[in-house]
Amino acid sequence: MSWRKVLIVDDEVEFAAALSERLLLRDYDTKAVYNVDDAIAAIKQDPPEVLLLDLKMPGMSGIELYRTIKELYPSIEVIFVTGQACQDGDETIPRGAFDCVMKPVDIDELTIKIDKAKQNIIKK
Amino acid sequence: MNRNGDPALTPFMQSILRPFTNFVNAIKKDRYKSLKLRLFFYIGTLAGLPLIGIAMISYFWVFNILKDEFRDHLRWQLEDSQRSIESFLQEKLAGLRFLTNAYSLDELSDDTMIHTIFAKFRKEFGEIVDLGLINSEGIQLSYAGPYHLKGRDYSNQDWFQEVSIRGVYISDVFTGYRKMPHFAIAVRREMPGKHAFWVLRATVDVETLNRFLSSMQLKEYDDAFIVNKDGILQTPSRFHGKILERAALKFPVPAQDLSLMDYKRDSIYLEVGYAHIKQSSWVLGMVVQSTASSRMIELFTKDVGTLYLIIVLVIIGSIANSIITSSVVNRIQEAEQRREAAIAETEHTSKLASIGRLAAGIAHEINNPLAVINEKAGLMKDILQLIGNFPNKEKFLSIVFSITDSVDRCRTITQRLLGFARRMDVSLEIIDMNETIKEVIGFLEKEILYRNVNLDMNLSENLPKIESDRGLLQQVFLNIANNAIDALQDGGTLAIATGKKDEDTLQVIMRDNGHGIPKEVLKHIFEPFFTTKEKGKGTGLGLSISYGIMQKLGGTILVESEVNKGSTFTVEVPVKASIDLRGL
Repeated sequence: MSWRKVLIVDDEVEFAAALSERLLLRDYDTKAVYNVDDAIAAIKQDPPEVLLLDLKMPGMSGIELYRTIKELYPSIEVIFVTGQACQDGDETIPRGAFDCVMKPVDIDELTIKIDKAKQNIIKK
Repeated sequence: MNRNGDPALTPFMQSILRPFTNFVNAIKKDRYKSLKLRLFFYIGTLAGLPLIGIAMISYFWVFNILKDEFRDHLRWQLEDSQRSIESFLQEKLAGLRFLTNAYSLDELSDDTMIHTIFAKFRKEFGEIVDLGLINSEGIQLSYAGPYHLKGRDYSNQDWFQEVSIRGVYISDVFTGYRKMPHFAIAVRREMPGKHAFWVLRATVDVETLNRFLSSMQLKEYDDAFIVNKDGILQTPSRFHGKILERAALKFPVPAQDLSLMDYKRDSIYLEVGYAHIKQSSWVLGMVVQSTASSRMIELFTKDVGTLYLIIVLVIIGSIANSIITSSVVNRIQEAEQRREAAIAETEHTSKLASIGRLAAGIAHEINNPLAVINEKAGLMKDILQLIGNFPNKEKFLSIVFSITDSVDRCRTITQRLLGFARRMDVSLEIIDMNETIKEVIGFLEKEILYRNVNLDMNLSENLPKIESDRGLLQQVFLNIANNAIDALQDGGTLAIATGKKDEDTLQVIMRDNGHGIPKEVLKHIFEPFFTTKEKGKGTGLGLSISYGIMQKLGGTILVESEVNKGSTFTVEVPVKASIDLRGL
């Protein structure tokens, strides 16, 4: 299971760092970046399998970043992580996104979703 | 009651405000009552004024006619009596004159002769008491009549003086030798070639005059009489004195032939008439109290039918007026109440909406730091579980667990807040109401078992399939059922029934026999953040969200409750959801 590569993109540094560490402890190959530019750079350098993406970030919004990434790497599954409701009417979760979790995150729920996303990739 | 933040403020404020609220309600009630009265008065006045005007004009019109007619009638009566008396006197005078011409002094001096003449005269002219012949010395030479007056000396009596000067004389009433009120009619006859004369005299009883007066149609308070030029009553009078006494008259006697005057005595209107009687010093007087106005009253009181008709018409008018007024004011009241209700509902909806937006904002802002706490605590937990034993490890772990538990509690609140605020994406599908309910009960099965709750399901067969949002409906039912179970003591009963309210609406009734909801609480039950549950056990959003959902789906939630007997929630669900775009 060494190739469970997960990238966390969230401007909330403490959150992203802690979550990253926790996922590492659970044997996920996790990395956290804290802005859009770093995210794009990190993906280009080493594309993850699952991307945990904050819906709202300074600069480019999570959704814009999602579109960019999906264009470049359609195989990456994206799970949105949001402080708002997952079905918010104004900023709907895009159709192609794999799933959505709400902050504060339940780590077990998240890992289940990541595993499902990975299985999805294998099916493809 | 335990309300987040300010536990006792609302009931306290309400208890302060209650007298004021009652006062305002009382004013409102009074306002409609006084409006009714005012309207009744205005309409009555508007309708009544022209009527009263016409009635008054007619009254004065009729009154004037009556007055004229009445005066004419009086004048006619007065004239009639005047003429009767005058012609009576004239007749007697003419008769006496004839006798003085037809018979000589010698013939008349003869007692037998004068008796014969008197008898004939009386037969023809009537109403004379006696007949006497008096010489120029004033001695009665012969006499025919009921009294013994032959030989009497009249030389000192006024009438004799007068007749010896004037030749013809009608005396005032006097008692004379016979002690009976009477008057004399006398005619003088010159004796040719001598400086002497004789006088033929007849007397008439006052009764005769009275007869003329009583022939006038007088009413109870009216009076008619004859006075002489000195104001001495010549006939008896009802109200103005006895015969031969000075008349107690307050009205001046005019010098003219006949006159009618209006007088006011002791606030009573009187009609006073006078007529001079020719050949005499007499004035015929008439005082009539039954004036035109009393005739007017008579006109009404006699014609009772008219009076009843007027009264009946006024009563009918008043009833119609009060019916119209009541219905108009009731309509106004209804319209105002509807308007107030609509305003209250709009206020409630917009209150919910603005609280929703605020709640969402807060929830979002709190979620981010909460997420940090959660991850940090989680990480601590992970690390603690990975590393070996060390002093106080268990304590650390329990602290971390209580942190993550608290975060979970916060998460429940913020996620519900967000759910409350969320613009719900309604996805309509054809669903079976009974199935939907059964699924909800499925979620609660464990709780029901654990609490030993009796579940009394009474689901109506043949319910039409409905078009609505299954998820949202289930959220509503779950909320209400959860509350019901919380309200129940172990072993209580939760009854759930489905049925048709009408063609377009199904209803789901959830009844518990739990502790019930006090009236004060019932008012606030759908307000966000209102809860009576223990701290941490309820967010105060469940029913508020449910209410919003049912509004959204075009339905509603009704609640009835009695303390210690239980509560009944009725959810009305339209067969075809009409999505309400307002509010949440």
